[in-house]
Amino acid sequence: MRSDLANDIPHLIAEHLTLVGSAMLLAILAGVPVGILLTRRTGARRWVLGMASVMQTIPSLALFGFLIPIPWIGGIGQRTAVVSLFLYALLPILRNTFVGITSVDPGVCESAAAMGMTDGQLLRQVQLPLAAPTILAGIRVATVTTVGTAAIAAAIGGGGLGVFIFRGVASVDAEQILAGAIPSAVLALLADWGLGWIERKLSPR
Amino acid sequence: MPLVEFRNVDYEIAGKQILAGISLSVETGETLVLLGRSGSGKSTALKLTNGMLFPTRGQVLVGGRSTLDWDPVALKRGIGYVIQDAGLFPHYTVAQNVGLIPRLEGWKEPVVKQRVDQLLESVGMPAAEFRTRYPRQLSGGQRQRIGVARALAANPPLLLFDEPFGALDPVTRFELQQQFLAWQADFGKTSIFVTHDIREALRLGSRIALLVNGRLELITRAAEFANAGSPDARAFLACL
Amino acid sequence: MDRTKAVAALIVLLALGGCAPSGSTRPIRIGSKNFTEQVILGEIIAQYLERRLHLPVERRLNLGGTLLAHQALRNGEIDLYPEYTGTALAAILKESVTSGPSDVLARVRSAYLRDFQIEWLDPIGIDNGFALVVRGSDARGRKIESLSDAARANDGWILGAGYEFEQRADGLPALNKTYGLRWRGRPKIMDLGLLYKALDQGQVTMIAANATDGLLSKLDLQALRDDKHAFPPYEVAIAVRRDSMLRTPGLREALLGLSGKITNSAMQALNYKADGEHRSVADVAKEFLDTSGLR
Repeated sequence: MRSDLANDIPHLIAEHLTLVGSAMLLAILAGVPVGILLTRRTGARRWVLGMASVMQTIPSLALFGFLIPIPWIGGIGQRTAVVSLFLYALLPILRNTFVGITSVDPGVCESAAAMGMTDGQLLRQVQLPLAAPTILAGIRVATVTTVGTAAIAAAIGGGGLGVFIFRGVASVDAEQILAGAIPSAVLALLADWGLGWIERKLSPR
Repeated sequence: MPLVEFRNVDYEIAGKQILAGISLSVETGETLVLLGRSGSGKSTALKLTNGMLFPTRGQVLVGGRSTLDWDPVALKRGIGYVIQDAGLFPHYTVAQNVGLIPRLEGWKEPVVKQRVDQLLESVGMPAAEFRTRYPRQLSGGQRQRIGVARALAANPPLLLFDEPFGALDPVTRFELQQQFLAWQADFGKTSIFVTHDIREALRLGSRIALLVNGRLELITRAAEFANAGSPDARAFLACL
Repeated sequence: MDRTKAVAALIVLLALGGCAPSGSTRPIRIGSKNFTEQVILGEIIAQYLERRLHLPVERRLNLGGTLLAHQALRNGEIDLYPEYTGTALAAILKESVTSGPSDVLARVRSAYLRDFQIEWLDPIGIDNGFALVVRGSDARGRKIESLSDAARANDGWILGAGYEFEQRADGLPALNKTYGLRWRGRPKIMDLGLLYKALDQGQVTMIAANATDGLLSKLDLQALRDDKHAFPPYEVAIAVRRDSMLRTPGLREALLGLSGKITNSAMQALNYKADGEHRSVADVAKEFLDTSGLR
């Protein structure tokens, strides 16, 4: 590989992982609790899941344009990119948390309630452990997708492997495009494989 | 004083009347069977007893005290509850399932283990063989036995059964019914048993209460149910 | 009798078809690349020829990129299309673009004639090179009109640019070498679609845009004059096949009627009407021809 590309790869991969890691951390910290809340407040369900779905349909450039003027979370750079990736990652995590919990056998929840378990005990001791594989599947899907979509961060000066892709496209340099696309695909495969392994560990034997 | 007493109980949900004007009492040591078709309100009556639901009008008294005046957790922990297919926690072993309430109640671990082993033996599931199994590794009848053991774990004076044997094959059901009578003799618990099976009602109940469309059609000693004259009672008897 | 008549008529028809000059039956085929400005220019050329020559015109617009349009022109699948001098020199002739507009045009002209029998007509008037743009309020306050003025302004500029400007030797490096502008922080590199938003919202204070961007006509902005010619010229001219001009008398004269007739600011407005106001290209082109008095 060309030395100019080879020199840039390590820090672009590090930036890429920072983007994905921060966005996923935020998406999990927000998505799982909100998903749980939706199982308790069914009225908000359609609105919240609807909004999260709409988020996914907004093209990234339009979302960036919308975020640029917003203080604290907007601007040009990594922060805006993380916020966008976070918004894109939210739906699978929210939805799988909600579905994982609501699809726990109602008989199990009923007997838990009949045994005098509080809602918190029901959640921690019954629903979350039983929903864990589903929630983790949502996190896995979101992570793999985010590794791919994180390339768009380069469109707003957010760094990452997308820089190679955007530069390559701008200068009709296929080698440079591949230098961004191939590591990105490898990262996605690694994330898929690693989270799949954890998922299998958590699933009932 | 009756252990459980319904005083003119109505229950409505979303404008729909599920139970209307139910008055009955359950005496210590007896097995009252609530017999009725699907949708007659019998499961609702059970949930009113342990405070999972509360009456729209009237009162349900347990141990002479309205369910509204009980601490909700204490009320439920004092009443064993067995449902169809047992409602066991699939991610817990047999021993963890049976020891659930004692642990929630803060029993010491050796005491819990001793109690679990004793209960497993008494429902015919040798502890050494079954304690580390998961519910999905058991047959339906075995799961139901574990469900009973779990309900008995904290030694409650009252047990509620919500069609517990409904999903079992006839042979297993018969075995468990025999087992139920044996438990009654051994433990001397008071039970309310919901079923739509007239044979089961006659076999297990000391008294039978017939619910029709949320109303108490009749309540009688099991031995005298065959003499009942109401058309609904006759419809059940015709199944024999 | 009837049969002889019919045969005679058929012979006459065939003879007419065979003898007629092919130019009169085949429409003039006009190409363009696949972005708004190109499609508008292609449409303007097409409508203009229809008005002047009253000949059938076929539009083959939206060809996917420089190489594709060039191939189509060389193969005779199109007779002409508008191209940029800098692009032709760099992308087709693979030469470096280091000289001024007239020299670049001269080099492109002679190479195209020699190698492809394609003539570059006199430029249309647009030069769509890199344009460094600042907010109108900043420019007026400090009397900044050219890049040299901007270099004199003491506080550093925050540059927003696309990847192409960052990557190309005739982009950011050329700007730095020629003007020595003072920068505040590293340039913020982003998608071209976000540059104007970033400038408008104060995320950056100067952007490297393109000289005919539609938004330049709409927002309060100042495009800075490249007074020391740091950037290569991207003058638009029509590239036409010589055999097409031989086949269709008057085609060359007609096309020359467009030379020097479209300014950068006119092109900005046209681009904005199509992209910003979402009007049809045919409509935009017709309005331009009607109001500019071209005939």
